[in-house]
Amino acid sequence: MNNAAYIQLFKLAGPEMLIALAALAVLLVDLTLMRGAPVRARRVIAVLLTGVGGFAAALYLLQVPLRAVSWGGLWAVDPLTQLVKLGLVGLAVLTAVLSLEADYTDHVGEHFALLLLATVGLMVMAGAADLVLVFLGLELTGLSLYPLVALNKAGPRATEAALKYFFFGALAAAVTLFGFSFLYGLSGTTNLAGIAAALRGRGFDPLLALAVVFSLVGFGFKVAAVPFHLWAPDAYQGAPTPVAAFIASGSKLAGFFLLGRFVALALPESGDAGRAALFTPGWVPAVAVLALASMVLGNLAALAQRDLKRLLAYSAIAHAGYLLLAVLALNGAANRPAALAALVYYAGTYALAGLGAFAVAGHVERHAGAAALNHLTGLGRRAPWLAAGLAVFLLSLAGLPPLAGFPAKFYVFAAALNTPHAGAVSLGLVVVALLLSPVGFYYYLRVLKLAFVTESEKRPAGPDAPGNSPQGGENRFGVETAVALLAAAGVLGLGLFPQWLLGPLQAAVREAGG
Amino acid sequence: MDAQLAQYIPVLILLVLAGAVSGGMLLLAHWLGKAGRRTAAKDMAYECGMVPVGGGSTRLAVKFYLVAMLFILFDIEVVFLYPWAVVFRELLREAATANLIFWAMVSFLGVLFAGYLYAWRKGALDWHEPRRAGSPAAPNRSR
Amino acid sequence: MNPGLEHYLVVSALLFCLGLVGVVLRRNLLVIYMSLELMLNAANLALVAASRFVGNLDGQVMVFFVVTVAAAEVAVGLALIVALYRRRQTAHVEDLTTLRL
Repeated sequence: MNNAAYIQLFKLAGPEMLIALAALAVLLVDLTLMRGAPVRARRVIAVLLTGVGGFAAALYLLQVPLRAVSWGGLWAVDPLTQLVKLGLVGLAVLTAVLSLEADYTDHVGEHFALLLLATVGLMVMAGAADLVLVFLGLELTGLSLYPLVALNKAGPRATEAALKYFFFGALAAAVTLFGFSFLYGLSGTTNLAGIAAALRGRGFDPLLALAVVFSLVGFGFKVAAVPFHLWAPDAYQGAPTPVAAFIASGSKLAGFFLLGRFVALALPESGDAGRAALFTPGWVPAVAVLALASMVLGNLAALAQRDLKRLLAYSAIAHAGYLLLAVLALNGAANRPAALAALVYYAGTYALAGLGAFAVAGHVERHAGAAALNHLTGLGRRAPWLAAGLAVFLLSLAGLPPLAGFPAKFYVFAAALNTPHAGAVSLGLVVVALLLSPVGFYYYLRVLKLAFVTESEKRPAGPDAPGNSPQGGENRFGVETAVALLAAAGVLGLGLFPQWLLGPLQAAVREAGG
Repeated sequence: MDAQLAQYIPVLILLVLAGAVSGGMLLLAHWLGKAGRRTAAKDMAYECGMVPVGGGSTRLAVKFYLVAMLFILFDIEVVFLYPWAVVFRELLREAATANLIFWAMVSFLGVLFAGYLYAWRKGALDWHEPRRAGSPAAPNRSR
Repeated sequence: MNPGLEHYLVVSALLFCLGLVGVVLRRNLLVIYMSLELMLNAANLALVAASRFVGNLDGQVMVFFVVTVAAAEVAVGLALIVALYRRRQTAHVEDLTTLRL
C-alpha cells in the first residue's frame, strides 16, 4: 500500500465522503446556526443541505472515469457499482424530500444526518469487495436505521418496532460475522475474490457449508427474506413513513446488490451437473429454500393484512423471494451477466415503486392518523393524483405489462430458467412464483378497490364522514404527491422502455467483467 | 513447548501466593474471630462506620448513563491510534507516505471531534441540568 | 498438548452457542443484549485464532473494526432500551406486544 493508493482511495471514495460530510454539516448547522429557529425552517434547511450533498455526490459519481478499479482489493469501483450508488443517492434525496413533512420529531438535524449516514452505509455495501467492508457497510446502515425507526417517540409503537429491528439486526450481524470468521479461517483471506480462489475445487466440507449458510443470514435479514423477516412488518408499521420508505427501497436495493456480488464474487459456482456437485458450494440450496419460503409466506400473509404499511411489508417479503430467484441464477458463469442485470433492474424498479407506495401511505397516515386500509376509502376522489400514483405502484408490484414490474419479473424469470446445473430447482421455483401471481393481484386490487370504488357506497354518510373530513385541505399539492408522481413517472417510463435502464446496466455488467 | 510454558512459572507462583494469602486471611479470621455471632449491627452494610442511609441499591440518574456511554464510545475509538502509532515512524521514513500518514489520522480525529462537538452542544456532557421544569418523574420529557 | 486451530474454533463455537441460547431463552432485554455481545466476541476469537494460524493480519484488523462497531451497537441498543423503559417502565420481551399480526 503506497502513497498513490492512499490518494486514490480518497478519489474513489469521494461520493461516500461527500455524503458523510453533508451528514456532519446538517448536524452542526442545525445545532449552531439554526438553533432556536422554527422547526419548519430547520427542516427546509436540512433538506436543502441533503439535496446539495446528494447532488454533489451524484455529479462526482458521473465524473469519475467509469473504469473497473479497486483499491488494494478492498473497494470496487466499476460502472455497475457507480450506477447502483447513483440510484441509492437518488432514493435518499427522495426520502429526504418526503421527510419535509416529518412533524413527528423536533430532532431535525439528527433525522437527516442519520438518513445520510445510512446512505453512506448503503454505498459502502454497494462497493465493498472485502469481508471487513461488507460487515462495516451492513452495520453502518443498520446502526443508522435503528434510531431512525425510533424517532417518533410520541408514537405508541415506534420504540418497540425499533427494538425488534435492532435485536434481529444485531443477532443477524453476529451470526454473519461468525460465518465470516470461518470463511476467513478456511481461505486465509478476507478479500471476496481471494476467498473464491481459495475455495474453488474444494470438496464437500461441512465447515464450509456452515460458514456459507451463516454468512447468508445477515444478507437474508437485510433483504427481509423468510425466515429472517420477522422484524419487517413491525418495523415498517412502527417506523415513520419516510424511514419505512427508505428501508423498503434503499436498504433493499443495496442489500440485494451486495448479496448478488457476494455470491458472484466470493462463493465458487457449483461445478458440473449432478446432485452432489450442486450441493458442494452450500449456498444454492440455502438460497432456494429462502426464495421458496419468502414467496409463499409473503404472498399468503399479505392477504390477511388490514394496514397498508404492513401489507407493503409482506409484499416486500414476497418480492424478496422473486429477487432471490435472480440471485440463484448467478450460479454459473455464462448466465451471470444477464442475471446480475436482471437483479439490479428488478431491485431498482421495486425500490421506486415501494418508495412511491410509502409516500402515498405517508399522506394517508398524516391525514387519518394511521394507514389502515379502510382509511383509503375515497382516496380516488379526495386526492386523485395520489390515488393514480398508488394504482401505478401497486399494479407495477403486481407485474402488470405496461409498468416496470412486468419486464423486471420477465427478465428475472428468464435468467432463472437459463441457470445451468439447477434446471429442475429453478423451474420449480419459477412455477411457484407464477402460481402465486394471482394471489398478489388479489391483495393489490383489494387496496385499489378501497381507494377507487368503495367510496361510492359510503357516500350517504355525509360530508363529515371520517374519510371525507377536510382536515387541512387534503387536495393541497404536497411533497408526497410530488414524490409519488415522480416515482410513478419513473415506473411508467421504465415499464414502457426497459432498455433505458437495462441497456446501461448490461453495458456496465459487461465492462465490470461479470 | 516446555520452554514456552516455562515463561509462565512466575505467574503460577504469583497465583499460588495470592491464593495462599487471601485464603489464609479468611481462615485466620474464621478461627480467631468470633464467627457465628450475629447481631443487627453486624448485618448492616458497612459505610465508613456511619449508620447507612437508604437502601443498598439506589437507582442512578440517566445522565450518568449518557456520560458513561460517551466515554465508552470515545474510549474504543482510540483503538485505531495504536496500529497507527506502531507504523508511524516506518511510514514517515518513506517519502511516498511521509506527508500523508499524519493527515490520515487527523481526518479520523476530525470526525471524532465533530461528534464531540455535537455531544457538547447538545448538553450531553452537563452533569447538572441548569433548569428542571416540571415534575422530575415526567417520563416523556423531550430532551 | 499443543492447542491447534480446531481447539480455538471449538471454544469459539461453544461461546457462540452459549450466546445464542441466551438470546433465545432469556427474557430481559439487557441480558439478551449481553448474550449478543458474547456471540460477537465468539466470532472475534475465531478471527484472531484463524489469523494466528493462517499467518496474516487480516483477521486481527477485522477484529479492530468489530470491536468499535460493537461499541456503537451498545450505544444504540442501550439508548433504545432506555427509551422503552421511559415509556413503558419495562425491559422484558413479553411486554413487546403492541405490534401483532
